[in-house]
Amino acid sequence: MEELKKAKMVYDSINVPNELNYVVHRSIAKQKKNKNRIFYYFKILATTTVASFVLFVVTVNSNSTFASSISEVPIIGDIARIFTIKEYQEEDELKLVNVKMPALENTGNTELENRINYEILTKINEKIEEAEKRAEEYRDAVIQTGGSLEDFHPINIEVNYEVKYSTNEIVSFVINKFETLASAYNEQDFYNIDITNGKELNLRDVLGPDYKQIVDSSIKKQIEEREKNSDNTYFDVSDGGFDGIEDEYQNFYINESGNVVIVFQKYEIAPGYMGIQEFEIQQ
Amino acid sequence: MQDVRCVLIEYIKENQEKMYKTAFTYVHDRDEALDIVQESIAKALQNINKLKYEEYVKTWFYRILINESLQHIKKNKRNNLYEIENLENEIADYSEIPIENIEIYKCINRLNEKIRTVIILRFFEDMKIEEIAYSTRTNENTVKSRLYKGIQELKKMIEGGKN
Repeated sequence: MEELKKAKMVYDSINVPNELNYVVHRSIAKQKKNKNRIFYYFKILATTTVASFVLFVVTVNSNSTFASSISEVPIIGDIARIFTIKEYQEEDELKLVNVKMPALENTGNTELENRINYEILTKINEKIEEAEKRAEEYRDAVIQTGGSLEDFHPINIEVNYEVKYSTNEIVSFVINKFETLASAYNEQDFYNIDITNGKELNLRDVLGPDYKQIVDSSIKKQIEEREKNSDNTYFDVSDGGFDGIEDEYQNFYINESGNVVIVFQKYEIAPGYMGIQEFEIQQ
Repeated sequence: MQDVRCVLIEYIKENQEKMYKTAFTYVHDRDEALDIVQESIAKALQNINKLKYEEYVKTWFYRILINESLQHIKKNKRNNLYEIENLENEIADYSEIPIENIEIYKCINRLNEKIRTVIILRFFEDMKIEEIAYSTRTNENTVKSRLYKGIQELKKMIEGGKN
C-alpha cells in the first residue's frame, strides 16, 4: 500500500535519543550482575570448598563477564543465608508463571527455618492460586461478553526476591510478586529476621521505643524535600496522604548500610505514577 | 543456554534503534519509549530460559516489546497521554516531510491496538506474516485478516480526511 510507505518515511525519521545506547547497555549489565548474585546464593549450598571451587571454575569459563564483575560480589562471610530453593516456569492457557522462591538456611535454628520457609511457600502458592482464579474469572467474562478466546491473554505472574541486608545476626529480604492481567499489580512481603533469637523484627525492635517519632519526622522531611521537584506529588493528608505510620509493623527492610527503609506501595501515599515510595531512615 | 543468551544480547545491541522506534510509535513519548525498551530487555534476559531456539530471538523479543508497549498504553490511558503532540521535535527533518505522510502516520495511531500492531510490524519493521503471528501469539490467518482490516480502515480515514 502506497500510503504506508509514506507513513514509514515518518517512522524511519523518528529521532533516536542519545541515551538509548546507554540505557540498553545498562539494562544488559544489570541483568548480568543479578545473575552473578544468584549464583552466589547457590554457591553457599555447596558444603565443601572443593565443590564450590568446581562451580566457580565452571562459571568463570562459561561467562566472560563474570570475571570483570567479581569484585562487586559480596564476600562469602557476609552473604545471607538466603538461597533459591526452587525456580520454575509454568505455562498454560490461563497463566504464565515464573517463580524464584527463596528459603532460609544454615542459621543453626531449624525451627526458625522451617517456620519461615513454610510461610514463604504457602504464601507464594496462595498468591498463584488467587491469581489463577482471577484469570479464570476474567476469561469467562471475556467469553460471556461475546469475546473470543483470542481476546484473552494469559495472566503473567512473577515471583522473585531480593536480599537487602545480611550479617550473622540479621537477614532482611523482600519477596516481590508482579501480576499482569488487565493492569499490573505489584505486591511485596518483607522479612527482617534476627537469626540469633529467631524473631521477626519490627520497627520498635530496630529503632527503639521512639520509633514512631523518628520515622514520622524523617519521612515528612523527605516528602517535603522531594516535593520541591514539581514532578513529584504526594497526596494531601486530607486525601489519605502520609500522616505518620500506624504502628511498629509498618513495611520496611534494612539496606546495605544497615539503615531502616520504610516502603509504601504504589497509590498508598502518592499517585500511581510515583510508584513504590521508599524512605531511608538515617540514624 | 549461554549461546542463546549471547545471541539475544547481540540482537538487542544491534537492533536497539528499531526497538526504540517501535515503542515510540505506541506511546509517542521519548522517556516512556526508553522505559519500554529498558523493561523489555530486563524481562527478556530474566526469561531467557524460555527461549529454546536462537532462530526465534527476534520474534520472541518482539513479543515482549509489544506486550510492554501495550501495557504502558493501558496504564496511562486514563490520563489521555497518547495524543500525538510535539511530533516535530521527535522527527528528524520534520519540515521536509510532506504533511500528508505525517497525517497518515498519525492515522495509524487511531487504529485499535491489535490492528495497529500488525501494521507496524508488517509495514514499518518489514516482518513476515509468519513472524508477526509468532510475535503477537496468534496464527497467520488472523494476522492476514487484521492487516486487511487495518488497510481498509486506514483508506477510509485518509479519504475521510481529504473530503
